Amino acid sequence: MLYVLIILFSAIAQYFGPWWLMPIVCFVLCLWKADAALKAFGVAFFAAATLWLGYASYQHSVNEGLIGQKVADIFKIPNVLVLVVITTLIGGIVSGFAGMAGYYCRRALA
Amino acid sequence: MKYIRALLSLLVAGGLTYLLNQPLGPAPALGPFFSPFIGFWQNDEAPQKASSSELKLQGLKGEVIVKYDDNGVPHIFAENDADLFFAQGYIIARDRLWQMDFYARVTSGRLSEVMGPLALDFDRYNRRLQLPEGAAKLAEAFMKDPDSKLVAESYSAGINAYIDQVEYKDLAIEFKILGYQPEAWSPLKTALVEMLMRKDMNARSDDYRMSNTLAAHGPEVVKELFPNYPIEESPIIPKGTKWAFTPVAVPKVPEMLKASVAARLDIESENPGIGSNNWAVHGSRTATGLPLLSNDPHLGLSLPSIWYQMQLVSPTVNVYGVCVPGWPGIGIGFNKDIAWGMTNVGSDVFDFYQIQFKDKTQKEYQHDGQWRPVTMKINEFMVKGEAKTVQDTVRYTHHGPVLYSDGQTPFMGDLPVGHALTWIGPLAVGNSLKALYMINRAKNYDDYRAIMPYLASPAFNVVFASNQNDVAITSAGHLPLKWKEQGKFVLDGANPAHDWHDWIPVEQNPYVKNPGRGYVSSANQFPADPSYPYYLGWKFAPGERGIRINERLEKMTQATTDSLRLLQNDNFNVEARRVLPDLLKILEKDSSSKAHPAYEILANWNLRNDPEELGPTIFERWVKELRLAIWDDDFPSTDKKAPMMLPTRDRTWALLKKQPNSKWFDDKRTPKKTERAADIVRATFAATIDSLIDKHGRINNESWAWGKAKSADIKHLVPLFKSFSRMDVINGGGANIVNATTESGHGPSWRMVVQLDKTWPKAFGLYPGGQSGNPGSRLYDNMIDQWAKGELNELVFLKSKEERHPKIVSTLKLLK
Repeated sequence: MLYVLIILFSAIAQYFGPWWLMPIVCFVLCLWKADAALKAFGVAFFAAATLWLGYASYQHSVNEGLIGQKVADIFKIPNVLVLVVITTLIGGIVSGFAGMAGYYCRRALA
Repeated sequence: MKYIRALLSLLVAGGLTYLLNQPLGPAPALGPFFSPFIGFWQNDEAPQKASSSELKLQGLKGEVIVKYDDNGVPHIFAENDADLFFAQGYIIARDRLWQMDFYARVTSGRLSEVMGPLALDFDRYNRRLQLPEGAAKLAEAFMKDPDSKLVAESYSAGINAYIDQVEYKDLAIEFKILGYQPEAWSPLKTALVEMLMRKDMNARSDDYRMSNTLAAHGPEVVKELFPNYPIEESPIIPKGTKWAFTPVAVPKVPEMLKASVAARLDIESENPGIGSNNWAVHGSRTATGLPLLSNDPHLGLSLPSIWYQMQLVSPTVNVYGVCVPGWPGIGIGFNKDIAWGMTNVGSDVFDFYQIQFKDKTQKEYQHDGQWRPVTMKINEFMVKGEAKTVQDTVRYTHHGPVLYSDGQTPFMGDLPVGHALTWIGPLAVGNSLKALYMINRAKNYDDYRAIMPYLASPAFNVVFASNQNDVAITSAGHLPLKWKEQGKFVLDGANPAHDWHDWIPVEQNPYVKNPGRGYVSSANQFPADPSYPYYLGWKFAPGERGIRINERLEKMTQATTDSLRLLQNDNFNVEARRVLPDLLKILEKDSSSKAHPAYEILANWNLRNDPEELGPTIFERWVKELRLAIWDDDFPSTDKKAPMMLPTRDRTWALLKKQPNSKWFDDKRTPKKTERAADIVRATFAATIDSLIDKHGRINNESWAWGKAKSADIKHLVPLFKSFSRMDVINGGGANIVNATTESGHGPSWRMVVQLDKTWPKAFGLYPGGQSGNPGSRLYDNMIDQWAKGELNELVFLKSKEERHPKIVSTLKLLK
């Protein structure tokens, strides 16, 4: 449930606002509903990772992935897939920690 | 405990978010950069679809229709000129904003603000060249004329309308990678783009090399080996043309600089790659009975391309052609009645003056028997990643800036000597926007001639053709009125007779209308033969391209657009025709050379630099080595202290033919032997083959093929962004070939052929790049392969916005 909500709300937030609304959405939703630290991290991580992975892959597919390969080459990344993985990890990790922080704040406020 | 955990976790999450939102050293902020919602993933551009859309823009007076064709070329229809230039700015910013911003940063000497210390020397040099000061003068001139004021201001407003509304998501990938934002545009920035062109065309010098040569060898040798007019040449204005004016008095040759200091100035030598071809064929030689016009300006090939195609339509104009991003109007193109094109003139407009300072403080310098004060100016640079600004102190004389780098000051006795620069860049003003405004609307020859006073610099050979069956060419631009050989050598900064005093009257610049031969042409060669009353320079681009173009035009009687296209792609090697028989005759007498397969290749070569030929691979390398081997002992061109000038190829081949036993063939470095031409020819032949084998392996049809061996790289403006470049484009040609694609990445940057017509012209063209500046778009480099093959696209020149054309794919309406 939380997984779906995070994807939904952070997608809407990022579509209209800056990228850092994603960790804030994770924080708020985990503050509201998470029930364990690791689970909070995990659900936020996977939700955000899914979203960024999904959207990046979609973007990559619309034009034969011209830009992904070129950016990968500039940063000396051997394969565009690695670039997708990095994207996924960046989105996932920052959101995971935000989710965990949400859970710990919920505990502190309880 | 629970509070501490909460606090700690918040710190980690918040800190991480904060870090990802900050640039890390030279790297961009990772959060926004990688976010698929706004980051680089957004720069993947879907192929354009048939569509129509609307956009509201503040600043428009009426409605503007923009129709895009399948090549991404916008055709803009506006109800008035203000809206037309507004829309031109807005539309080009959508495709090329980063490039325009980059050009303006380059010439304002502010590249290191966004690129870091790497660009600092480049910035310092551009400021010393006074590019920003020159631009300020140009911008001021734009504002004084109502037409150019309207153009400059409306164009800037259009670009700024785009900048105001663009989101990070839609910014060019270069902004995202380098982590900066576009700056607002202004007429000053347009002037900065013009200054970039002036620098590219004119800011090179061999003066100090010639002075070093004169000092080492004396005037007799210089006269013999560095003549003021080539032995083989076909000048732009046909020989025998009468000059229809009374020349003004040319200043007398004054006393020359006596004590010259051996110097090595950190300045680029003449570059054979900067050149261009254009020609117009009179109706008496064409199939239609009306003129044809062709132009291919050769510039540094880059991505995004220097050119952008557009059609601009308002009640006062309907014109098609290419423009330089940042520079409003159409630079090279055609309208219903006329067509025009440009090549660089390349006259000597960049002169060094030797400055004698009074003492080590360098606060006063000698001029006209007096000590004049030196003005000091401090240029400041903000450098990305560095807290403190960098300062550069420049000394100015009335000649211009003292241009050597600190610590490299040559000394005379124990007093420092400097080299001050006078060049046309910051001096000539003119009004390029007015000139373009007028030529875009020109209807006939008189309208064409009327733009000449406004063209200041760079000087262009402006070719013209009209549907009234007129063809003409003018070497247009402000040209200093010089005494003979003024600026061939470093000038005397103390002698007022050495200063630039005046200009050649504009109407006396070389020009010709409807010459008897039935065509006009230019390829950066001498504008006129020595009968022209003014001195323009002692050396222009080598004559081979001009010679070839003229001999082919001479044979055309029923020319068509396709004959002109084929001529643009002509790979015939005039230099090989001239010198190869002499060289082969020498090799013939040497059994080991003659037995070599490379000899066979050269002997059977069709003299064309076609991509599949092996001949040019050997020949081009060989003549380079040969020229160096003949001269470098006497005229060391890479000497660390006092590099000299190598005699031109033209002079070299004449010597080889007529004086094979000349003392110049003797290699001074081998005192025991006296070499003759034949010895050097044989030795360099063997050496050339050896080094080619080193590079390309044993002789074979693959890696030795000229197209492969030469190859052309079309690099991104930031060469570090290799994957945004197109490397190793297979193409024939060469520096002195009509198809002037060089190894250094110069070449035909836009090819255009126009067939004039009483009702509606037909035109063809393309450039090695694409309309989009986005490497994530298919339209980024879609024309390169066609370009390499020598093809041209038929250009979509719409009669009105109502015209339905099968190639128009989308329509954008701009509303107020």
